[in-house]
Amino acid sequence: MRVTLVARPRAKPSLPVEAESIIPQNFLRGTDLTVYEGNKERRLEELFFITVEGPAVSPDQVEVVLMGATGRVKRVGEYMNAGRIVIEGDIGMHCGNFMSGGEIVIKSNADAWLGREMRGGRITCMGSTSHNCGAGYRGEKRGMRGGTIEIFGGAGDFAGEYLAGGEVRIHGSCGDMAGIEMRGGLLVIGGTVTRPCGNMTAGTAVVLGHVNRMLPTFQYQGVNDEVWDGKRLKMDVWEGDVANRGKGRLLVAVGK
Amino acid sequence: MKVVDVVCPFCGCLCDDLVVEVCDEKVVKVENGCTLASEKFLGDHRLQSPILREGFGWREIGYEEAISVAADILLAADLPLLYGWSGTHGEAQSVGVHLAEVLGGVIDNTSTVCHGPSILAIQEVGHPGCTLGQVKNRADVVVYWGANAIEAHPRHMSRYTTFTQGFFVKDAHLARTVIVVDTRRTETAEIADEFVQVEAGYDYEILSALRAIVRGREDVISGAVGGVAKTQLIRVAEICKRAKFGAIFFGLGLTMSAGKHKNIRNAIELVEELNRHTKWTISPMRGHWNVYGSNEVFTWISGYPFAVDFSRGIAFYNPGETTSVDILRRGECDACLVVGSDPGAHLPRACAAHLAKIPTIQLDPHVNATTHLATLQIPVAVSGIDAEGTAYRMDGVPIRVQKLVETKFPDDTEVLSAIYRRVREVKGQ
Amino acid sequence: MSGILVRNAFVIDPIKRISGEVMDIAIRDGWVVEDAGPDPVVIDASGCLTLPGGIDSHTHVCGTKVNFGRYMSPEDMRAGRTARRGVMHVTSGYSVPTTFGNSYRYSAMGYTTLLEGAMAPLEARHTHEEFTATPHQDMLANTLFDGNWSVMEAVRDRDIKRVAAIVAWTLSAVKGFAIKLTNPGGTEAWGWGQDVRGIHDQVPHFGVTPAEIISAMIEANEILRLPHSVHLHCNNLGVPGNYRTTLATIDLVPDLNPLRQSLYLTHAQFHAYGGSTWRDIDSRAEAICQAVNGKPIVMDMGQVMFGRTTTMTADGPMEWKLYMLHHNKWSNHDVELETGSGIIPVYYSRKSLVNCVMWAIGLELALLTNDPWQCLLSTDNPNGAPFVKYPEIIALLMSRRYREQEGTLLDPRTSHRTAIFSIDRELSWEEIAVMTRAGQAKALGITGLGKGHLGVGAAADLAIYPLDPDGIDPAVQVQEVIAGFSRTKYTIKRGRVVARDGEVIVEGANATIWSRSDVPSQYDMGQDPAFTEKFSQYYTVRMKNYPVQEAYLPRGVCIRTEAAL
Ligand code: SF4
Ligand SMILES: [Zn+2]
Repeated sequence: MRVTLVARPRAKPSLPVEAESIIPQNFLRGTDLTVYEGNKERRLEELFFITVEGPAVSPDQVEVVLMGATGRVKRVGEYMNAGRIVIEGDIGMHCGNFMSGGEIVIKSNADAWLGREMRGGRITCMGSTSHNCGAGYRGEKRGMRGGTIEIFGGAGDFAGEYLAGGEVRIHGSCGDMAGIEMRGGLLVIGGTVTRPCGNMTAGTAVVLGHVNRMLPTFQYQGVNDEVWDGKRLKMDVWEGDVANRGKGRLLVAVGK
Repeated sequence: MKVVDVVCPFCGCLCDDLVVEVCDEKVVKVENGCTLASEKFLGDHRLQSPILREGFGWREIGYEEAISVAADILLAADLPLLYGWSGTHGEAQSVGVHLAEVLGGVIDNTSTVCHGPSILAIQEVGHPGCTLGQVKNRADVVVYWGANAIEAHPRHMSRYTTFTQGFFVKDAHLARTVIVVDTRRTETAEIADEFVQVEAGYDYEILSALRAIVRGREDVISGAVGGVAKTQLIRVAEICKRAKFGAIFFGLGLTMSAGKHKNIRNAIELVEELNRHTKWTISPMRGHWNVYGSNEVFTWISGYPFAVDFSRGIAFYNPGETTSVDILRRGECDACLVVGSDPGAHLPRACAAHLAKIPTIQLDPHVNATTHLATLQIPVAVSGIDAEGTAYRMDGVPIRVQKLVETKFPDDTEVLSAIYRRVREVKGQ
Repeated sequence: MSGILVRNAFVIDPIKRISGEVMDIAIRDGWVVEDAGPDPVVIDASGCLTLPGGIDSHTHVCGTKVNFGRYMSPEDMRAGRTARRGVMHVTSGYSVPTTFGNSYRYSAMGYTTLLEGAMAPLEARHTHEEFTATPHQDMLANTLFDGNWSVMEAVRDRDIKRVAAIVAWTLSAVKGFAIKLTNPGGTEAWGWGQDVRGIHDQVPHFGVTPAEIISAMIEANEILRLPHSVHLHCNNLGVPGNYRTTLATIDLVPDLNPLRQSLYLTHAQFHAYGGSTWRDIDSRAEAICQAVNGKPIVMDMGQVMFGRTTTMTADGPMEWKLYMLHHNKWSNHDVELETGSGIIPVYYSRKSLVNCVMWAIGLELALLTNDPWQCLLSTDNPNGAPFVKYPEIIALLMSRRYREQEGTLLDPRTSHRTAIFSIDRELSWEEIAVMTRAGQAKALGITGLGKGHLGVGAAADLAIYPLDPDGIDPAVQVQEVIAGFSRTKYTIKRGRVVARDGEVIVEGANATIWSRSDVPSQYDMGQDPAFTEKFSQYYTVRMKNYPVQEAYLPRGVCIRTEAAL
């Protein structure tokens, strides 16, 4: 089954829309779903032109395609466990929260908290994402626990904050403090990053580009030969964060 | 008439020992307060009646009309923002939360531009704190980090820390070691026993280094961090470890510099580490006199200290998303009610610009920067001068601010309650 | 207001010695009366267990540290959210719900009176503000004196009358109900990052011991003729081997009051540990119960239930030690000249032997205390578990089979470290009624206000449960018992139906009950030069701004006594 949702023009296009109902499994029972626009509950069809093609008996046979101005649509894919969501344009915050299976493909940019507290599945973002990608919720001690997030562009601050499991790959550059509070999992950054991995206790972070302002509390362990993306690289290995009795590993490509 | 033990409704110190002289229902003299206090009590150019924008001008209207206009604006909105709250008393804040709840709006206080990051840090690691008297009576080491107390909280040092005698600290001036950490040599730094000058934006690194040193891992630290020599860091760590009772006070220099809540978290974790050796506490230098009250009131009603979004019926909280600065910058809200604050003056320009675009209602006694953005302004009595109610000091101690003079103005609680009643009527509740 | 007639209720009212009689209860103007008057609203309670409104004699629901528990825990807030609905406000929170959340959830369980376990006098105004936002229960506040400098100095000077005078002044200033001692002396030591390790340890600088503080306060309490006894959280909470401290404390207690206990020992579970480390911890519930049986002492269980919760207590040093075990997050808040406090989130796990032992000890205490009036049901909410777990605890106490079932999920060593699985006793409906309301009313000394019973003249606080004691066997029908105690059919407070089938249907208007003991003028601390001088030198608020104004108690109920000074 293929469900196509084309955003209708809205009178107040800046109003946030909360659309956690947009997950593949919900469309097995039709399109009679609701979302919130500001403080008003709206039927899905008030905000989207909906077309449904083909049948499906289980969520993994459902593909949801979002088109049009969806940059303010939040929580798409929250709690999804199977199937596929393709977003042709930008997507709002909290896309793929708590996702445990299936796939989300974002063809443009994703706003903050992409894949927050994700448990499994895969998110691919062809553009860039904002802050707190793969992070946790306020006050919670674990962020993403499983699955994969791959960003072909860059990311904002605090990418992979509290990462506890799974993998976050950012091909471009990150803002400040990627991998902060990391306690597991793998974070790979292709470009530049500033002050990575503060307070990390476990897990592995790999920087293929350049590190600005390495934190003073990582202990240098020497150079290793590593293979990343099929390439052999010499990498500086750091352990930390010593400020926090940490035993995380931070690998930085030599000479970048 | 002289009134003694008056509470100052200006900064988070909430000094309660002012002597105020009242004559003909006007404050004519203030003793004991700092200059900020005098300005607050004596400055008085009140807006005399509610004003509603019409075309390019203003029309004076009555309170009843003002309340119904306000209610209509809020009811018509799809995402009203109720902002401010640090400049009013708790009873009004409480009505504000219930109003937001009924409207399905977002309520946020000025923490969004001051100690919001401190709250986020506390939510990650907790907060080892104490009341100010604990510091006054015991502290032999006091640290001001990114806080220029002398300017922003002029009596903080004389009432609570450096210069005041305490039960276990008889000769305060000699018995207390003062450490100041800042990016520039402030007035406060001038009186420090140890001044640590940090390169701007390097607080996080320095805190990490101190944590490592305190736990005996100075071996990993290089010769200098963020412009501070390792030798000085080691010396500071030693002073801290040798303290009998240490207290860190931090201000916007730490909350608003790069890293924001992670800086505060790092400072809290330094305090945690120090507690393995001796007694340490840490406290935010809250600016507005009752910003902490708004955090407290919001919390017991909604569960969250600021940035609470009721648009889905339940309370949702996620600073960065539900904070007013972010909501305004993204142009999300379509009406705003401002109480006890002047966002026109202290929010970033893009935010103020959005306020000018949407209907903005302000409850405030004075014409201020927000007036120029507002659609409607309703003058109210001033808490602590002609209105009374509860305030929470920067350390959480609740104090009742007094009503010193009679007034013709209703207070925030009364106006908000009237709006709340009207909204509920229209909603059929 | 028209009267209410509750028809055919299955009433258990231990204070009035009614144990399972089918009867009518007439209510008018908030009180239980002979005759409900013309055209009363009739409530059909046939087949429904009907009890006086529940009373929690030790819970943490309002005030500085409770609110800080919320403030620091958005993860807990999001774990229990309800939207605004009817007259019900939004609620958030699971282990530390918002004030309305607490009030609605207690009301759904039939609770109409709550005692906040710890109020720091300096921050009392905060507690009272939250009391007014907890509208469906009458509220009382334990007032902390454990590290009160003036008290400790008077104790050191062996001036009991002065101790009493300080307590009298403070209680009436802060509108407190009773004396609370939390780790007496220990909270002052914590001002220096230290603790006391036993009741005969010296408090740094003050030259007194916890034992001296406790004894003096017990005496002062009776001089003031306060309704409740001293309410004590013993030293060494949560420390393996601490049962010795608890037994030594029990030995201090004289019998001074014919109407009630002379000491209330709160959350006894946390004080009944044998062993010397976390590795060899075991239960000493039996020793504690033996010491308490027949003594002028009432305790509450402080039951631990498995799952996530938040611990919060004035016992600052204890929270630090606990943090050193859990390493999650830690808050601390010392209060000048008075007390301390700490908060950390915890997770009680069935996989942890220590947690299993704790779970067992609480139940053992309830089952090994002969007289249910001496061991009341509590979790020290939310320290042992959130209060919404009370129905499960009731079911555990009423069913041996349920205990055994639970046992199969626990660390198998639990049965070596505790005696829980060898106890046959299953509590009766009546014993549960004692442990959840009648016992509390008596221990708090508020039966005179019409609390805890349903005789004519009683406050019309009723809990009508969808439970038919004639129809179900609690030893077997565990789920029915849990469901029944979780949601009343009707909760009546002050003669109004406030909750139906778990939904609150009116806006509340509670009362705050406080104590005031009148002292002769030479004992008025407000006029005492040494006391006022100390105040102005060392507190950071002026004495004039310290007392809680009447404005904070819109419906204050004052229990006034004449001090024997
Ligand atoms: S320090 Fe602050 S509270 Fe004290 S008098 Fe000055 S402005 Fe007022
Ligand atoms: Zn307690």
